[in-house]
Amino acid sequence: MSENNRVIVASGLQKQVIAPAANNASEILSILTEINLQVAAGVSVAITGASGSGKSTLLGLLAGLDVPTAGSLQLFGQELTQLSEDQRAALRLGKVGFVFQSFHLLEHLTAVENVLLPLELAQVKGDLKQRALTALDQVGLAARAQQFVTKLSGGEQQRVALARAFVTQPELLFADEPTGNLDRHTGQEVAALLFRLQHDYQTTLILVTHDESLAAQCNHWYRLADGRLHRQESV
Amino acid sequence: MASYWQQWVRRWRLSEMRLLFLALWISALAVAAVGFFTDRVESAMERQASQVLGGDLVLSSSRPLPDEYRQLATRLGAKMAEVVSFRSMLSVGETAQLVQVKAVSTNYPLIGELQAANNLTAAGVKAQLPASGELGAEPRLFHALPAPVGATVKLGRSEFILSSVVTKDPAQGVNFFQLAPQVMMPLADLPATGLLSPASRAEFSLLFTGSERVIRELKASLQAKLAPTERVRTLQEGAQNVQQALQRAGRFLGLAALLSVVLAGAAIVLTAASLVRHETAAVAVLKAFGLARRRILVDYLGNLWFLALVAGILGALVGFFLQTLLAHWLVQVVAIELPPASWTSAWVSIVTALVMVTGFALPALLRLLDTSPMQILQGSLQAPTALVGVFMLSILPAIFLLMWIQARELSLTLWVFLGLLVAVVLFWWLAKLSLNGMARLSTRQGWQGLALLRHGRRSLLLVVVFAMGLFTLLLLTALRTDLIGRWQASVPADAPNYFLINIQATDQANLENFLKQQNIQANLYPMIRGRLVEINGQPVTADDYPKPEAKRMLEREFNLSSFAVFPESNTLLAGQWFDANTQGFSIEKGIGETLGFNLGDRLSFDIAGQRFTETITSVREVRWDSMQPNFFVVAAPGSLLDKPYTLITSLHLAPNQPELIPTMIRQFPSITAIDTSAVLGQVRSLVEQATLAVQGVFAFTLVTGLLVLWSALQAQKPERQREIAVLKSLGANSRSLRRRIWLEFLWLGGLAGGLAGLLTLLAANLLGFYLFDLGLSLNPWLVILGALAGAGLVATAAWLNLRSLLQVVPMVLLKT
Ligand SMILES: Nc1ncnc2c1ncn2[C@@H]1O[C@H](COP(=O)(O)OP(=O)(O)OP(=O)(O)O)[C@@H](O)[C@H]1O
Ligand SMILES: [Mg+2]
Repeated sequence: MSENNRVIVASGLQKQVIAPAANNASEILSILTEINLQVAAGVSVAITGASGSGKSTLLGLLAGLDVPTAGSLQLFGQELTQLSEDQRAALRLGKVGFVFQSFHLLEHLTAVENVLLPLELAQVKGDLKQRALTALDQVGLAARAQQFVTKLSGGEQQRVALARAFVTQPELLFADEPTGNLDRHTGQEVAALLFRLQHDYQTTLILVTHDESLAAQCNHWYRLADGRLHRQESV
Repeated sequence: MASYWQQWVRRWRLSEMRLLFLALWISALAVAAVGFFTDRVESAMERQASQVLGGDLVLSSSRPLPDEYRQLATRLGAKMAEVVSFRSMLSVGETAQLVQVKAVSTNYPLIGELQAANNLTAAGVKAQLPASGELGAEPRLFHALPAPVGATVKLGRSEFILSSVVTKDPAQGVNFFQLAPQVMMPLADLPATGLLSPASRAEFSLLFTGSERVIRELKASLQAKLAPTERVRTLQEGAQNVQQALQRAGRFLGLAALLSVVLAGAAIVLTAASLVRHETAAVAVLKAFGLARRRILVDYLGNLWFLALVAGILGALVGFFLQTLLAHWLVQVVAIELPPASWTSAWVSIVTALVMVTGFALPALLRLLDTSPMQILQGSLQAPTALVGVFMLSILPAIFLLMWIQARELSLTLWVFLGLLVAVVLFWWLAKLSLNGMARLSTRQGWQGLALLRHGRRSLLLVVVFAMGLFTLLLLTALRTDLIGRWQASVPADAPNYFLINIQATDQANLENFLKQQNIQANLYPMIRGRLVEINGQPVTADDYPKPEAKRMLEREFNLSSFAVFPESNTLLAGQWFDANTQGFSIEKGIGETLGFNLGDRLSFDIAGQRFTETITSVREVRWDSMQPNFFVVAAPGSLLDKPYTLITSLHLAPNQPELIPTMIRQFPSITAIDTSAVLGQVRSLVEQATLAVQGVFAFTLVTGLLVLWSALQAQKPERQREIAVLKSLGANSRSLRRRIWLEFLWLGGLAGGLAGLLTLLAANLLGFYLFDLGLSLNPWLVILGALAGAGLVATAAWLNLRSLLQVVPMVLLKT
């Protein structure tokens, strides 16, 4: 793995939070103790772990949504810990996609408008509408483009979310339990779609999941426990 | 990025956005409607007042006025009429009568209309000025002479025909205590009479009307040039009775308008908070996708401002329309012509919407920007809670600004603002106390029904909002009732319509007898003329006072009186009224303020060459619109009766007693009777206008209050929907859900109403006392009535608003 094609380099990442407890007291909670991780461009990385082990926290740190308590983290070669919230946001703009467990589509928008959103945010030029429709077509939802997302089923909503994530052809995609809210069958469909798109666009993928069969399909698999990542060999 | 328009259209789909629009629109509508309406009523009242004055500005002098002033007025574009008035003898054959001659230019009157009749029994109709060689005269001249209409009379060197009975001269109110009957003649005929020599005493007046700007400029230019004998009067210094009514009505209208703005503000804050709750997820997602805070802020602000602009414009339009309807309807009820509305109110309503959205939504929005994108990965989204500091820095100044825009009077704004702050804090505290008490009670046997109030924060918010709304309505109702009752009492149907002056002391007993025989109620007051010469032993002259009204008071003689019975139309403010043994003066509050004396000071008057000195022992407030004889200074009963005096009284004469005055004058020839029914009529129609305005504005405030109630409920709808779905999934049937809604809101409404009633009781007394000169009254019914009205109103509104939620299918739970 050469120096310059590493998308994420994390070393010695720690995350502690002050958790308010009863009686107005508060205690320091150490969620991540020592995270070292390097991710090369185009690969897929799975992170699994027990509920509450800190997977989402780690994902948020890697994406620059939050800052670590200690350690260093580079995203696209930029040291994130030095940047302000807005500077970190600018780094993500147009280059990073997200897929969430509970979809987080904007309810008052139609399917195509949700997909348009990241294109508009990144101020991409050209026929945005066409690109959005193409992205919806890729996830098999061209026919539902004009519907409000609240009218769609869970699986369909997650497919819209996939279209939204891939429409900017991001270099890096974060997915937090993308199949967590779906039944087994639908989950498999969505996962297949995710891997296909990731392969087509050569996107780097960080996938947090409970589903070991999903994790096994990734190039690398780490298990998060005691605030550390443990390399897991695919079976 | 998509165009703002596109974004706006998308965001419009948010129910909060529509609600915000509704709240903004309603407040803009209320402001516009109230503004347009009060504007019209105020200008109607001002017009009435300037009619009494004769113009918007009157310049008068005891010397002929130089042409320079006429040219100035023409140059500035003011309309002008000219009046010369003086006393003279008018004769028919052998009989002569002192008359007040009023020679007027052809465009008199500038405001209002002259009414006259062809004979003494006919009602007056709109009439032209007397033609050259003709005179119009008050009815009492025909009685006094006596002479028929059409008689030839002699005035100075000229002969005139007494051609008409003037029943209404719009500008007569100015000179209320006019002794002689008035005769109106064309100004062009005046020189021929030879009555005006340089030495003769006359008042020369120029009456002006024009736009506010023109009058302002004219006044300023005139004041720079005035000779010592000349003075300028404008509306503000016009007849006192008119002014007092105007002031009170204006204050009430201002208060009503600004309370309705505050009510609408509450709706905006509620809706903005719920918008933020909804948008938290969206902002977190946008941030995750890499959007900077600044762009998010600009984007939301742009959207909201556009929303406010549209709401403001629509509000102004619909407000104008509503106001037209209301004015139209009320004009039919009370038959008063309202002048057209000005467009200022449209601007005010648009500015109001913009200030509201900025001031009320901004703090919530700024907090929204702090939403951590991390939240999106955690299960639950926490809506940011507004910081107290931001709240103070944004919402409070916004409310203050809005109030100020409405009231345009800093001190009133300040007081109401502080009052509202105290009210909110009190409501918050009392509501919290009561709700906690109820929650504790709900754990006891038999009180489980109260359990549904345990939803602490939500209930607290509702109670405070409802209480504020109900408080506003109750307060305005209480004040309105007092105010209108008081006005109507001030000009009752049997208010005096005649003044009798110049009653000789020797005639007193006989006149009292005469009036008693005619069943007429009248109090005779002695009237003594005196000049104020010393205050606390220090000589005073007009030169000691910079204020023109103070100068004027000292240049004239005062009318002093002395009597034992405290007049009904007065209020004792300080000190003690006279009893059998006391000496002293009782003064009117205003004159003390103008001339700078108060309780305990010693005043010396020069009465017919003799010095009369007493200490001020009481201060009264006088209702000048009472149509009763009123005096600035009253001495202890009997103390002045050794001085030369005449008596004065006022009485009410029914229309079926037209012979009474002529009979009385024949019997007591020295008495001068002044018909004040024209003035009375003007005061009465003024009161009608004020009442009209107050009713109209109150109606608007009522509607605003109801709509705030509605938006408070609307803001909680999503939460309640989920709650009802959960209850349903747990097996609640619609009957029990219905019962739940009714019970909860009956309690909340009752609590809010009771608290509102309690505070109204306090506030109405305070406000009534300080702003409207009303007495104190403690009415426990207000609390009970408030609780009942609150329970009924809130529960009904809640039911109508939440009814549709009962249809919710519990499936929604699985969707989000
Ligand atoms: N801001 C915070 N304050 C307090 N505790 C926090 C905070 N953020 C995370 N935690 C705690 O840290 C732990 C890890 O949370 P995280 O959401 O990362 O777990 P997870 O591995 O994603 O769990 P799951 O599989 O259930 O999604 C949890 O116990 C959570 O309660
Ligand atoms: Mg998680």
